[in-house]
Amino acid sequence: MSECRHVSEQLTSYVDDQLDVTRREEVERHLDQCASCRSAVARERGCHAVLRHHAQRLREEPLPPGLRSRCESLMHEQARAASVPGWRRTLVPTVLSVILLVFTASAIFSLATRRSDAVLAAQLTADHSKCFKLFVAGNPPVMDAHEVEEMLTREYGWKIHVPPSVDGLQLVGARRCLYADGLIPHVMYRAANGEDVSLFVLNGVTRNPTELVTFGHRSQIWTKNNTTFVLVGPEDESGQLVDATRYVMKEADR
Amino acid sequence: MFGRRQRAAPDTFSTEVLGYLEPLYATAMRLTRNRADAEDLVQDTMVRALRFRDRFEPGTNLRAWLYTILHNTWRNRIRDTAREATDVDSDRIEELAARADGPAEVDTPERMLIRSTMDVDLKEALDGLPDAFRQAVWLRDVEEFSYAEIAKMLDVPIGTVMSRISRGRRQLYEKLTQAKTDAQVPVSR
Repeated sequence: MSECRHVSEQLTSYVDDQLDVTRREEVERHLDQCASCRSAVARERGCHAVLRHHAQRLREEPLPPGLRSRCESLMHEQARAASVPGWRRTLVPTVLSVILLVFTASAIFSLATRRSDAVLAAQLTADHSKCFKLFVAGNPPVMDAHEVEEMLTREYGWKIHVPPSVDGLQLVGARRCLYADGLIPHVMYRAANGEDVSLFVLNGVTRNPTELVTFGHRSQIWTKNNTTFVLVGPEDESGQLVDATRYVMKEADR
Repeated sequence: MFGRRQRAAPDTFSTEVLGYLEPLYATAMRLTRNRADAEDLVQDTMVRALRFRDRFEPGTNLRAWLYTILHNTWRNRIRDTAREATDVDSDRIEELAARADGPAEVDTPERMLIRSTMDVDLKEALDGLPDAFRQAVWLRDVEEFSYAEIAKMLDVPIGTVMSRISRGRRQLYEKLTQAKTDAQVPVSR
């Protein structure tokens, strides 16, 4: 019996053919005499064989629409952002005068910032598209800003100001998104023309204000009181949407 | 500024990472058992792979590296959302499972089992396993990672990996054969 216990610890390695010759023979000698361990091996083998037989098909899970293109966009954006400082390496040796050095230093600084802004915008734009597709379907009900604020405090301990719905822009949801190593609030709006707008709030992050376009979406980034706000919406803001965007920007950091 | 101008060509790293999208998603589906979470998880894995690409040593196994990120991300997520489900406390689960692992009633030859098992049954049976066992069995038998690689992905000792594979396989076997023999043999548990 104690032999069973000793051998049973090795049965999985035996099935997976991971034992050296000595131990394998030891296990086999035991199996010759022990029906219970033989049956355990048969079960493990059977299961292993079934999974191997079906492995290829099990790994073929149809990808949800849009996932591949979002991931590709993330990669492209990263590749482009990463290629920016490449200039620096070719540019620096040609810089001789002090004046030019100073000029270059400030240029490098601004490039570095723009690079990380592009990555921030790319990630949040991807989240914007993903969350609307997954969590806001059809005609979403309009939500009350106070209730959303309470929900964010209750569920996640966040105290943020959620701009309420106005004419031409409806608050339709809020959830938690993963950004870098932290989790951040994502507030979702739908405009009267059917366009989607997202507000992300990054607490404890400071950025210079900027506006940029990634994957056909416009991201506006600004900071107030050590909190960075990012508003993601369609690239082409027409009439009413401009007002709606301005409203959220004015209201968000109150 | 950063408008839709020329797209930089994706580098080798990106292309290789994107090549693993399908198996990563299939693994995420078995991990989360839910499309929305799986999609979320795969996208976050991509973001992290990009952020940590400097930590990847070229020439080592990119697939194993990505699977490690996927599992780490999922573990963090579960911890963060306090969805410490039943299955995360693996010691207890393993203890319970050890008691449930009765002697085999039926010893169907493996070929018969292969012939009679459909993909759908198999996915269903896999999803019915405790999380810790399903992860270990999937990574070993479907993805064919080594014990050491799996130990790194799941952040547990190799011995634990082996015992999870063993218990997972035996339970899965029970599930697969039980469904077929239910009609003739009374279930004795």
